[in-house]
Amino acid sequence: MTESNVHDYRDATLRSVSPNFTAKVFAEIGLDRYTICPSAIGDVYVAWSTPGVAAVRLAGDEQTFEAWYTERFGRRVVPAVEDDPVSAAARAKLQGGRVTVPIDLRDCSPFEQRVLHEAAEIRRGNARPYRWLAREIGAPDATRAVGNALGRNPVPLLIPCHRVIRTDCSVGGYVFGSDAKRALLESEGLDLGAVEKIVDRGFRYVATDDGYFCLPTCGDIATRLGVVPGYFGLRTLEEAHAHGLAPCTSCRPIAA
Amino acid sequence: MAVACAVAEPDTNTMLAEALARDVDRAFEDVVIAFRQPVVTFVARMLRDDARAEDVTQEVFVRAYRALHGYPPERRAELRLRSWLLAIAHNLTRNAVRDAPPASDSLEYDDGTPRVGLTDRQPGPEGEVLRAEAWQSVGDAVAQLSPALRAAFVMRYVDDLSYDEIAETLGQPVGTVKASAHRGLLAVRAQLENER
Repeated sequence: MTESNVHDYRDATLRSVSPNFTAKVFAEIGLDRYTICPSAIGDVYVAWSTPGVAAVRLAGDEQTFEAWYTERFGRRVVPAVEDDPVSAAARAKLQGGRVTVPIDLRDCSPFEQRVLHEAAEIRRGNARPYRWLAREIGAPDATRAVGNALGRNPVPLLIPCHRVIRTDCSVGGYVFGSDAKRALLESEGLDLGAVEKIVDRGFRYVATDDGYFCLPTCGDIATRLGVVPGYFGLRTLEEAHAHGLAPCTSCRPIAA
Repeated sequence: MAVACAVAEPDTNTMLAEALARDVDRAFEDVVIAFRQPVVTFVARMLRDDARAEDVTQEVFVRAYRALHGYPPERRAELRLRSWLLAIAHNLTRNAVRDAPPASDSLEYDDGTPRVGLTDRQPGPEGEVLRAEAWQSVGDAVAQLSPALRAAFVMRYVDDLSYDEIAETLGQPVGTVKASAHRGLLAVRAQLENER
């Protein structure tokens, strides 16, 4: 037996673990971790459990965050050393990447989950009223409850609850403050100044020359105006009908 | 390439053990990162089955975590983590080896394909094959050792662990460990001679 045979055996049999090894260990021992990620509103703490991201909060004092987390979720969270597939996805998403991030909504009621899943469908550059979201989930009388559910969104930014605003197009409340909400919407390409001008003139809908009408906060208007010159405001649904306009299929200004 | 088990320097051990004494939860990921590679390598050598090696390694760290929570801080501060983790790994692989006899293991492992780590510094295809055969015959010889001799041989002659450390890991007197490692060495040597 030569030394080099043993050396070769040693080198050839070195093994490493798969990328989600640490995640599997932490899943088994039931300990959650968190990391700091840059985002559109500055650094945030992103905490994750086995199913996915459980919390996003502004970065600040670690102890305060950890205490808040345990109070809300009943589990301990500790600072992570390495990213794993879940936190890497969240990090990419918070920097504008188009990735799917697994989310852990176990802490939310079934109603809250419905609200949050619906809010997750609102695309960049768009906003929808609270009342609209209530209607979309089949609970048209639950506008206030929708607002509360969004207010309890454990993963702001990842589920874009900032894209839900008031019917009069004022931005409403936000866990990171109304100014941050407005800034986020603007940074995503929604022209709130233009929206306010439309609303201030008493218009509830916007019609474009191609025969559709939209909510003033529909992101599709801007896209379509690239090819369709001009738009005009509408005060009521009756006006839309009188002009023979069809509801936009993207912002669904009236119930289907 | 560095020896697998030399990843954690002694001062790393002290640092980690003291961190564990302060707070198991906050220190645990560092422990996983520092020792996952040496542990999975040891387990893979014992089992000759990479897929099962990762599962067993996962179980090693889960058991370690639960054990740490049962220890008082003074005991955590004193731990020699590498031998402590390898001891857990050794116990688990003993069970795993008992559940699946080594003969069937070596059959499914020894499919003739060169394994990783061979190609980067080889002169040419012929050299590769020759060297692959050389280390694989060591692997085959190791596989034929009884689990007790295999553990002692691998730790002493492959990973260069001290007899003290091996004794601690296997929970045996140093004399016994020396004898096992030596008997393992003779058996491996004899097996390679036979093949010639």
